[in-house]
Amino acid sequence: MSGEQLITLLIFLPAVVALGGLVLKGAAAQRVVFVPAMVALMVAAAALALQVLPREALTFTPPVGWENVVAVLKYALIAYFLYVGITARNGLVLGLAGFLAVLLPVVQFGVLGGHVAVEPVFYADVLAVIMCLVISVVGGLIVVYATDYMPAHEAHFKLAEPVRTRQPQFFFWFVLFLGAMNGLVLANSLPWLFFFWEVTTLCCYQLIRHDLTDEARGNALRALWMNLIGSVAMVVGIGLAYNSAGTLSIQDLISGGSAPLVLLPLALFCLTGFTKAAQVPFQSWLLGAMVAPTPVSALLHSSTMVKAGVYLVLRLAPGYADTSLSLLVALFGAFVFMVTSLLAIGQSISKRVLAYSTIASLGLIVCCAGINTELALAAGIALIIFHAVSKGMLFMAVGVVEQQIGSRDIEDMDGLVARMPLLTVAAVIGMLSMLFLPFGVAFAKWAAIGAAGALAGGYIAVVAFLAIGSAAALVFWSKWLGRMLGEVPVVADEKKPVSAYGSVLLLVVGAVGLSIFVAPLVAALIQPALSTMGYSQAFDVSGWHLRTAIGVFPPWALFLAVTAAVLLPALFARGYRGDLDPVYLCGVNVNGGSVQFTGMAGKPVLVTAGGAYWKQWFGESRLTPASNWIAVLLLVALFAGVVLR
Amino acid sequence: MTWPIIVAVAAVLLAPLVGGLLRGLDRKITARLQGRIGPPVVQPFYDFGKLVGKSRVVSSKASMAWAWSYFLLTLTAFTLFFMGQDLLVVFLILAFAGGSLAFGALSARSPYARFGANRELLQILACEPILLLAAVAVYFQTGKFTVCSILEANQPLLPYLPLVFVAVLIVLGIKMRKSPFDIAASEHAHQELVRGVYTEYSGRFLALMELTHWYKIVLLLAFIALFWAQPLWVGVLIALGAYFLELWLDNIAARLRWSWMLGVSWSLGVGFVVVNLVLLSVVV
Repeated sequence: MSGEQLITLLIFLPAVVALGGLVLKGAAAQRVVFVPAMVALMVAAAALALQVLPREALTFTPPVGWENVVAVLKYALIAYFLYVGITARNGLVLGLAGFLAVLLPVVQFGVLGGHVAVEPVFYADVLAVIMCLVISVVGGLIVVYATDYMPAHEAHFKLAEPVRTRQPQFFFWFVLFLGAMNGLVLANSLPWLFFFWEVTTLCCYQLIRHDLTDEARGNALRALWMNLIGSVAMVVGIGLAYNSAGTLSIQDLISGGSAPLVLLPLALFCLTGFTKAAQVPFQSWLLGAMVAPTPVSALLHSSTMVKAGVYLVLRLAPGYADTSLSLLVALFGAFVFMVTSLLAIGQSISKRVLAYSTIASLGLIVCCAGINTELALAAGIALIIFHAVSKGMLFMAVGVVEQQIGSRDIEDMDGLVARMPLLTVAAVIGMLSMLFLPFGVAFAKWAAIGAAGALAGGYIAVVAFLAIGSAAALVFWSKWLGRMLGEVPVVADEKKPVSAYGSVLLLVVGAVGLSIFVAPLVAALIQPALSTMGYSQAFDVSGWHLRTAIGVFPPWALFLAVTAAVLLPALFARGYRGDLDPVYLCGVNVNGGSVQFTGMAGKPVLVTAGGAYWKQWFGESRLTPASNWIAVLLLVALFAGVVLR
Repeated sequence: MTWPIIVAVAAVLLAPLVGGLLRGLDRKITARLQGRIGPPVVQPFYDFGKLVGKSRVVSSKASMAWAWSYFLLTLTAFTLFFMGQDLLVVFLILAFAGGSLAFGALSARSPYARFGANRELLQILACEPILLLAAVAVYFQTGKFTVCSILEANQPLLPYLPLVFVAVLIVLGIKMRKSPFDIAASEHAHQELVRGVYTEYSGRFLALMELTHWYKIVLLLAFIALFWAQPLWVGVLIALGAYFLELWLDNIAARLRWSWMLGVSWSLGVGFVVVNLVLLSVVV
């Protein structure tokens, strides 16, 4: 197939399948349709990659008639947001949607003077293709997972109107999301980008409120108004960009040299990206999104929605290279990385820990875009890939755990390895892949710290934030990981639904495999992406080492060492058939066991050892208000720097 | 390519000897400071042999596995360091090793071990930023993150990185588990912590812990020695001086709270490194 057809397919296939899915009832029928469709989507993304890689980029401009369709749909979307604001009596949604309804025609007819032709509408370079692969592969696997999860979810969770299943609607928004994301990352025309952007906002809103509880509705509205702030910023940015640069093509905008006049729209687009990526002070919408069924969280956190935000910041990076905007973007991202990693230490709800970790990773990607050297950009792109795989997998694993043990609290996951051995081991590998070398996420951290350290001046603060944040990440992951491995006297009782477990395990294999083969991955995808974006090569990958001008990371050698260090002892311990002795309880263990000790007046006392959360230091009430204000100040500084220069 | 391997192999073989002797000196000097005669300097080796010969007592399979991971990962970091590799990689692998120690302690259902494990994680939280930033400071002076680059530089680091040096001394105190930073595992078992993160290890596993500790101390002292690598013997003397400074501090200080440790290492430690880096980029 030609590149044009593949681009069309990547956007339309999910949309068509989503519409078709509306009539499907029952897990079997869903699986028959969705599994082949998702495989087709993955194949299409891979085919596009093969077409794009040998050349710089593929471009595609659909016939002019489509411009009108998109324009009409844009107004329809805003009208729907207005309707939501009115029916839900939510002043913020109503106000922002209303403002948008006025602003959009003003910009379109007042500034742009009607229709502006953008050539090309779609621009598929290597970065866009990497995004498509992430969206299609990780997103596709989450759809497969959802076919197992949703029937169980509905059976377990008595919906507000239990008479009619809402699964068809769920899968409609779910699958449509993937098409919108593909369109978003392939779009080069700003009006088209805006359209896909709003579609993802809509899908996200619908998915968060899926359970229709009061909490779900409220959190969905919060997600909506926060994202509408980004939409307003984007429309203003589009107007300013056309006014100052006379173009609505992203490629023209970022390759035209960073003239000061273009910087303001770029800063506005970055703000739009921050809202979508739930960066502090907009983090509350993503934290609230966990009321939705787990597949939604997995999708929002890994391959879609928040990734759109960081993608935009990263995409525009060449446009603001070597400016004060770049430094402030880096500072902002590094600050978010640090503070959300610290906040995660104080959380005991597993999904909340995952959510803060997502925001932190996105902050790190934003920071990489701001550091804006080839090494940092490579780290940012690598992080997009690795984070999507690991976080998608972890959310799906936590979802399964929640369905089987009935809790999402880390305190209830004590000794989970005894109850659900297979899934726990998978989750532990997933966590290790989020935090330690030689896995991919830590590799990206290594590269980011190196890249920030290589720049003096204001970047010293950036590297200090990164150092503290990465230590904090180690603490919150380790606490949780260790709890799951505890020795608990229970019998394994693990149900293994095929689609759910299959998706989780495939992503675990992906996380480890991609980490081992990170050098070929860098050589085949990330370096070409850098060169089409106008950066030089970050790594010398000879011998499958990743050598930079300033340091060296030997992935496979480290993998050999770490595998020997972790896997061999684990295998030996597994084969250990000797007795286990009671733990030390000051020599007053009851009946020589580890469960009780003899307390006052000879009474047996149950041994309990809870987790540590140190709320007085890392609790939300302690950190959130201050960090919100600092983040706001950083954003103000970011705009002040752009406007005043 | 062969030289780094020879150096690394020699270091791996010699480090237990050096580490054990340093521990022996530690016990001797501490005893003298307290008005006791103290054990012979080679006592740690006797203790080690005794522990290895004891029968195996474990309370959790996972604890056994993580104990070995702790040792092997520390050894990996150690080897990478002496092969002249990237400092950031060394410190990140060292963090993995520290994590393994905590995982091993968390795996047992022992209140004392878990208590110690959580505190061990806080110690990592205190140390890790300083070590990573120290690697950045090395880059500021040598233009690279590798250990090799320090050895190839034509002037010592210390005159340019005095505040970084002070910050690394804080890390040394924490890693040596010396007062006022001995919060995760106390030297003596008759305290509220028992042995903290080590509580559930005995016999040959405790020997393994001790061996790992020796490697870790030698690694850190070697890093400190690199602050004066032209010529290296000056650096070695400085590292020994730092070691004895910690012993002296240990004997005059009490164990303090973890929040105090975190406050000191973040404000003084991270603060010193940042100030040093700022001065370096402004002045030079």
